[in-house]
Amino acid sequence: MGVDLWQRWPGLRNALVLIAIWELVGQFKLVAGGALPSLSAIVLRLWVDRADYPGHIWATLSASASGFLIGNTIAILAGVLFVTFPVLLRITRGLNIAIFALPPIAIAPILALTLSGMAPRITLAALGVYFVTMSATVIGLSQYDSRAANLVRAYGGAKWQVLWRVQLRGALPAILSGFRIAAPAAVLGAILAEFGGGGRWGLGTYLLGSLGRGEPARIWGIGLVATLIAGLSYVAFALLSARLVGTSRAVSLNPAAPPALRVDPSPWWHRIGLLLCSVALPFVVWWAFLRVLSVPSMLGKTPWDVIHYLFLSELRATAQSRLFSALAETLPITFAGMILGMGFAFVLAVSSRLLPEFTRAFMPVALITQTMPLVALTPLLVLILGRGTSLTLWVTISVTFFPAYVMMAQGLLLVPRAAVELPRAYGAKAWAELRLVAIPASIPYVFAAMRLTAPRALLGVMIAEWLATGRGLGNLLNQSRGYLDFNMIWTVAAVSVLISVGFYQIVLMIERRVLARMGMAATE
Amino acid sequence: MTAAPAGISLTAIGKTYRGRGKDVEALRDVTLDCDQGSFTALIGPSGCGKSTALRILLGLEPADCGSVSIGGQTPQQAAAAGVTGVAFQDSALLPWRNVANNIALPLEVLGRRVADYRDDIAQLIALVGLKGYENALPGELSGGMRQRVAIARALVTRPQVLFMDEPFGALDQILRRQMNIELQRIWGETGATTLLVTHGIDEAVFLADRVVVMQAAPGRIAEVIDIPFPRPRAAELFGQPDFHALCDDIAKVLHGG
Amino acid sequence: MRLQMNRRHFLGASAGAAALPFLPGRARATTPFTMQSAWINDAEFAGYFIGLDQGYYAEEGLDLTYLPGGPDVIPESSIIAGRADLSLTTPDTTIKAIVEQGAPFKIIGAQYQKNPIGIVSLAKSPILTPQDMIGKTIAVPPVNTISVEAVLAINGIERSQVNIVPYSYDPTPLIRGEIDASLDFTTNVPYTIETMGEEAVSFLLYDFGFTIYNDTVVVTEETLRTKRAELVGWLRASRRGWVENFEDPDLWPPRWMDTWFAGTGRSLENELFFNHAQQPLMASPAGYMAMTEEGIEANLEALARVGINGTRDMFDTTLLEEL
Repeated sequence: MGVDLWQRWPGLRNALVLIAIWELVGQFKLVAGGALPSLSAIVLRLWVDRADYPGHIWATLSASASGFLIGNTIAILAGVLFVTFPVLLRITRGLNIAIFALPPIAIAPILALTLSGMAPRITLAALGVYFVTMSATVIGLSQYDSRAANLVRAYGGAKWQVLWRVQLRGALPAILSGFRIAAPAAVLGAILAEFGGGGRWGLGTYLLGSLGRGEPARIWGIGLVATLIAGLSYVAFALLSARLVGTSRAVSLNPAAPPALRVDPSPWWHRIGLLLCSVALPFVVWWAFLRVLSVPSMLGKTPWDVIHYLFLSELRATAQSRLFSALAETLPITFAGMILGMGFAFVLAVSSRLLPEFTRAFMPVALITQTMPLVALTPLLVLILGRGTSLTLWVTISVTFFPAYVMMAQGLLLVPRAAVELPRAYGAKAWAELRLVAIPASIPYVFAAMRLTAPRALLGVMIAEWLATGRGLGNLLNQSRGYLDFNMIWTVAAVSVLISVGFYQIVLMIERRVLARMGMAATE
Repeated sequence: MTAAPAGISLTAIGKTYRGRGKDVEALRDVTLDCDQGSFTALIGPSGCGKSTALRILLGLEPADCGSVSIGGQTPQQAAAAGVTGVAFQDSALLPWRNVANNIALPLEVLGRRVADYRDDIAQLIALVGLKGYENALPGELSGGMRQRVAIARALVTRPQVLFMDEPFGALDQILRRQMNIELQRIWGETGATTLLVTHGIDEAVFLADRVVVMQAAPGRIAEVIDIPFPRPRAAELFGQPDFHALCDDIAKVLHGG
Repeated sequence: MRLQMNRRHFLGASAGAAALPFLPGRARATTPFTMQSAWINDAEFAGYFIGLDQGYYAEEGLDLTYLPGGPDVIPESSIIAGRADLSLTTPDTTIKAIVEQGAPFKIIGAQYQKNPIGIVSLAKSPILTPQDMIGKTIAVPPVNTISVEAVLAINGIERSQVNIVPYSYDPTPLIRGEIDASLDFTTNVPYTIETMGEEAVSFLLYDFGFTIYNDTVVVTEETLRTKRAELVGWLRASRRGWVENFEDPDLWPPRWMDTWFAGTGRSLENELFFNHAQQPLMASPAGYMAMTEEGIEANLEALARVGINGTRDMFDTTLLEEL
């Protein structure tokens, strides 16, 4: 039985091995002079601090739960609207991508300036879940059983009846899988908004307040509790969806998924009009947000204010030079980190075809680290790596590596067995098999992963810069807050969203070209 | 074509899959000999071990006991020497390779110069009726066309032994009959020892010299039936009473009669 | 805003605070009034906590809501956004915002007569004057870089002679020797360093020419017009709170471990150290929270050296005069 247990749960065995190594490393202070405390020291510290936690956990949980509820409600309604009126999906495309790609840390200060109390946290949590659930809803609603729909129609059912009886029912598994991914995102959003949000309670607040204590064990404790909450929320929805629909099918995040019509018969001016609407909408929403909340003009800057500040005002020269020198620090490291992270992920995912046992054991670890909130991860890496460029690089690598790895490895598992076995039946060696099948087959997932991870890479760099290194865009944002330089705060936020969206669009364009040439479809 | 075709021989093969809770005996004491140049069909219900037998012959899985020989070699040796060709149920074409390059894949795996086979590939494309589609990507082809590409790919190495695992399973009845007739012609031209795994009784009877009927739990050979119809067999055979009678007999064996 | 208040009430109730500081205030007709603090709850704000707990604000007719600050709260933005009536700030950022952004702020009081920020180093390699900083690596929070640059300029040191790196209130790099000193609250971080087994020394930027206040009390011009009486009441109650606090600096912090200080993760000893250390920085012959003409003059002079050209009219001492 004992041996059986190990064989059945290699993940468990690996976890135990990992914990044992961790304990030893911590006990003997092998990493950066004790920056990685032993697990027992962390648990002990958790016990000592136990009175602190309930309030912080409650604040973070209630903000993320509210954000989760609100964000998902809006997302499902939006998904239904988009499927019913596809033109809406095209008009809101720019807005949807902006919401997906925006680095939460860039808008956290803006939300803190313009909203009050718990609202910034709830908003950021809601923004974090919106895109995942909206795409899952659209995909779920689009992939209904047309025979069942015809049946309802044949009995005189109206469009809404088809929607209600067939499509929504059929979309349930996809929506629930969306929730699963959205839940940790809500936790991350809520914690990120505690940066710049103020207030006494919340794990993010606790973490920030504890950074100056020089107590690694506590910082690790907070990080692990945050991870646990995010991880448990993921597991809860995984179980719920398995229970309700008898499936635990993974919905992979596909930012490109909005199933825009491939062939568009409408006249060119119609298409251009829609495109312009789609580009303009995010700016309109930005402007409307300030108007509706009647944010004082000193705090809230409109798109026009930002353009004026950056290109027309007397301050434009200094503003531009500060912005560009920050970008010059941030962008190269973002790209370097992303490419390295993707590269590691690619090598590991592709070679996992050679070592399936390893993949099975490593996947749970990768999934856990994915639910670890970035804000919790960064201070831990600071403890180990210090505050130099290598920190930023590692933060970026780690935030891009795991999602990219999970996406590529899961994608490779979808390659039909026959396609893999064919070369083997001709006596192909492992390398030939990789070269001929696994590597080309993983290319769609490389692109999908790139789209997914590019915004995360920028977010990772900015968090590291804000918290630790004091360079680049993240620092400019932080410093502008300190100097009450509201023009610059809005400018940095807008520029970082634009960079994310721009990068996303570029990857998407290259992806479409390459995949069309390779005769493959973009991954759903 | 050129080299002398090799025979296939399975002797007292056993294979058990260790699963959770209980083990599954996929094959028990399976012995089967196929003469050089013969056409054998392997038929049986799901789980009777016919695909397992094929995987053992392809060297994708080892047998627990017994011996396997393809023209006197082990499956791995035969595969590495290019003796075998294979077509799966799923056409398993690589979507990023066009028709010609998909057909050339086995050559690349075997380390042969693809340039030396330009004419062969062109002939094979013509043979499976896809002339003009050399540069098409799999996504642009119908299911039947893809399956024909897979058959051309199985033949490109000029195999002496041809394994096919339900190659027409996904096709409709009409296309399937067409493909059966074409396969018979191709087999006649190449003279390869052929083992066809199939669900279709009529397909097995139409194509094979011998039909080997397997049964499940444990997977074993129930009966070997010789097919007496002379070759070449024409499409009309499908409509003849003695063809149906033979099919009915095999059906009875299949259903444990 | 309502959420914030509810949360505070909830927390007060859940902590089972027997004193129930809100009740006396509620018994009379009071005006809602909100203050934005500058940092997380610690001894730095003891005077206000006493004022709340003892009902001094309620006696002035104020139903005071206290919004804590933190490393990522910009206190001034709360008063611009109308979330708070009054805010504790650092004078350099406030005056910079008035000068550069035209922010409608007035400074009506000052908690620290001497800014507690200073250069903290280890006793085993002490940095006791600006001259000692030459050739050293000093960690400075991004927002305070200009303050340190000012001290360097005042003391005739080239900016290039000191290596300034960013700092976020973590003494670990100092202990590990990655940096030689850091800019921090001298009232606080030396204690943390001592708990980590090292002895700390420090000097105040104030003592070397950067003569500015800290935790200046800032309001918008509009609040000054419309809520003058409340502001005077707030100043009076706060002064009472501070007087009471320093009568016995060891008395109050222990009572707050489960209320005001709950959840900050800081120890009682830390708060007591802080409370003692801040007393000399707050004392003024004119009373707590005061701003003297000489003090204002010194502030303007020091800020002018870093290119922030404030004027006397940014300070309004008339409310203090009413106390």
